[in-house]
Amino acid sequence: MEILSSIFSEPFFIVLLGGALTSSTPIILAAIGEDFVESGGVLNLGLEGMMLLGSFTAFVVALNTQNIYLGLFSGILGGLLIALIFGYLVIYLKINQIVAGLGIGLFVLGITSLLYRIIFGRTFPVISEITSKTPIPFLSEIPYIRSIFNQHIITYLSLVLLPIAWWVLHKTNFGLNVRAVGESPVAADAHGVNVYRTRYVTVMIGGVLAGLGGAFISICDLAFFVSNMTMGRGFIAIAIVMLSRWNPSRIFYGAFLFGICQSLTYGLQIVGLDVPREFILMLPYVAVIALLCVFARNTRLPRAFCQPYERE
Amino acid sequence: MKIKEILKAAVGPVFAIFAAFIVGGIILLIIGLNPLRTYSELFTLGMGTYLGITESLKRMAPLLIMSAGLIIVFKSGMWNIGGNGQFLIGAILVGGIAPLLMDKFPLYLFFLILGLIGFLGGAVWVSIPAILKAKYEINEIIVTMMMDFVAIYFTSYLVRYPLNPHPGHFPQTVVLPMEKRLPLIPFTEVHIGLIVGLIVVILAHYFMRRTTLGYEFRFSGENKKAAFYAGVNIKKVTILAMLISGGFAGLAGINDVLGIKGAFQAEWNPGYAFSAIPLVFLARLNGIAVIPLAYFFSFLAIGGEFMSRAANVPVFFVQVIEALMLIFFGIGEYIQKRGKLFWKY
Repeated sequence: MEILSSIFSEPFFIVLLGGALTSSTPIILAAIGEDFVESGGVLNLGLEGMMLLGSFTAFVVALNTQNIYLGLFSGILGGLLIALIFGYLVIYLKINQIVAGLGIGLFVLGITSLLYRIIFGRTFPVISEITSKTPIPFLSEIPYIRSIFNQHIITYLSLVLLPIAWWVLHKTNFGLNVRAVGESPVAADAHGVNVYRTRYVTVMIGGVLAGLGGAFISICDLAFFVSNMTMGRGFIAIAIVMLSRWNPSRIFYGAFLFGICQSLTYGLQIVGLDVPREFILMLPYVAVIALLCVFARNTRLPRAFCQPYERE
Repeated sequence: MKIKEILKAAVGPVFAIFAAFIVGGIILLIIGLNPLRTYSELFTLGMGTYLGITESLKRMAPLLIMSAGLIIVFKSGMWNIGGNGQFLIGAILVGGIAPLLMDKFPLYLFFLILGLIGFLGGAVWVSIPAILKAKYEINEIIVTMMMDFVAIYFTSYLVRYPLNPHPGHFPQTVVLPMEKRLPLIPFTEVHIGLIVGLIVVILAHYFMRRTTLGYEFRFSGENKKAAFYAGVNIKKVTILAMLISGGFAGLAGINDVLGIKGAFQAEWNPGYAFSAIPLVFLARLNGIAVIPLAYFFSFLAIGGEFMSRAANVPVFFVQVIEALMLIFFGIGEYIQKRGKLFWKY
């Protein structure tokens, strides 16, 4: 009974809901980008690498300039850099997308660990001034759910981006081109759509958003960098895109559920429930597998998924 | 195969290795380290000393065993990238069970049973993504990767609490005495895991080329639809190929516990799968070509480890080189096919 009453206490809800939204932000951002990439027929397994490099560059720049926005911007650049390389490899050179994605992921994992050791040695600096959260007036005073309305500006941005992404993908010419390129590149090409350029643009969008998501992890959510700090979030974002069946408006549910699992780690500590830490930490990954079992059975992929386009 | 063909097939990997070393050297220059000194340290420490060679040969065993599984699963058109998790599950099972069995069986039976347990452990761990892939077409790349993280936390829990004989001390399973570990190959300091690895990878090679089942695996890897209409049971192939690869990853785990460590220790995750994946692609999924490349990759890992102490180049540099090899191998394939790097629209 004691546990029940502490579960329904206010601090638990505040940590759980606020934390969930914060930890789902990088997933939402990366998943929106990945949605564009996959709709265009490219599987971006380098997503994890884009996020990780975004985290790293953002952390280094934010630490040296003490400016969060410069940090976020350089995180975007980091993601974009990997996107340019990845796009060149899979769209122009037509290297197997899975091999290229894994290669990019391993490369970034190695290079960020290497550079971190070179720059910082064995010290673990922390960014002292974390960005302040921006509370929404009035709403951020409602008991129990007030933490939802007290978030980083990037979190609000990611939520606003969801409907925008849906609109771009389904209601604009560009979005139509992207989906056409993903379904039937030959037909799209015959209609004068530049398949290579369209795909390259989607990969770049994916890189920008993944870089921003990675930057959010290292300088907004946390304030430090450790080797492999994205911990499979790129793969989770890919899974969430599959769950949402390439519809950005559904990304939020999956990402929020991941966020809840993630923030349970802190939430259950408040409640004082004596579950081994390891089981709580594996919860997000188990949840993703379970969700895939329920919602991603026999999904219809974009028809030209994972296939390089060869112009006759 | 004719020598000419072998040479032609070797051009790609050799190009990839050289290109990776050159780009790696440029990266070293940028971050202010001396590439020539780094590479000479790497080669002398990794290949030029008795210790370096012995350690490299020991490191080969898990890479060979894991590669055997990866050849089979990649050739069947499936992507098991969660080898690290399957490795940990095999290792912890053996770490937990070996102390219970060690006085009950003669040594050869002891190793045989543990080998079976490790294999089954890895296979059971991969059975979830395998079944999900076969039944519901759920992407196995994602699920194997997720299972990797679950395995890390699960084994970490096991080694901290139920399998930890001395709570409060450094968490590790009961350490096996030296006489209960894998024996050494006569006249060397390398344990017999290396021989197991060589046998396993050669078996995998001939299994894929010379048996009906291997043919079905390759067929469905190359053209799933055609294989289906030719009467190949795709679900069976999917599940079997995944299980075998997971089993071999588990077997690699027991090799390290029985041959090197003698116990499962907390915070231990050597990440062999991330070396084995570039390795098997460089070998063009050919089991025989895996053998020299496995030596090369183990030399890189060992040389890198020694070098990080001697020349102050972090050990992560080796990971960068390995990833670059994979990327340049892909680029090399393209150049060989097209003879040009830039494409005009």
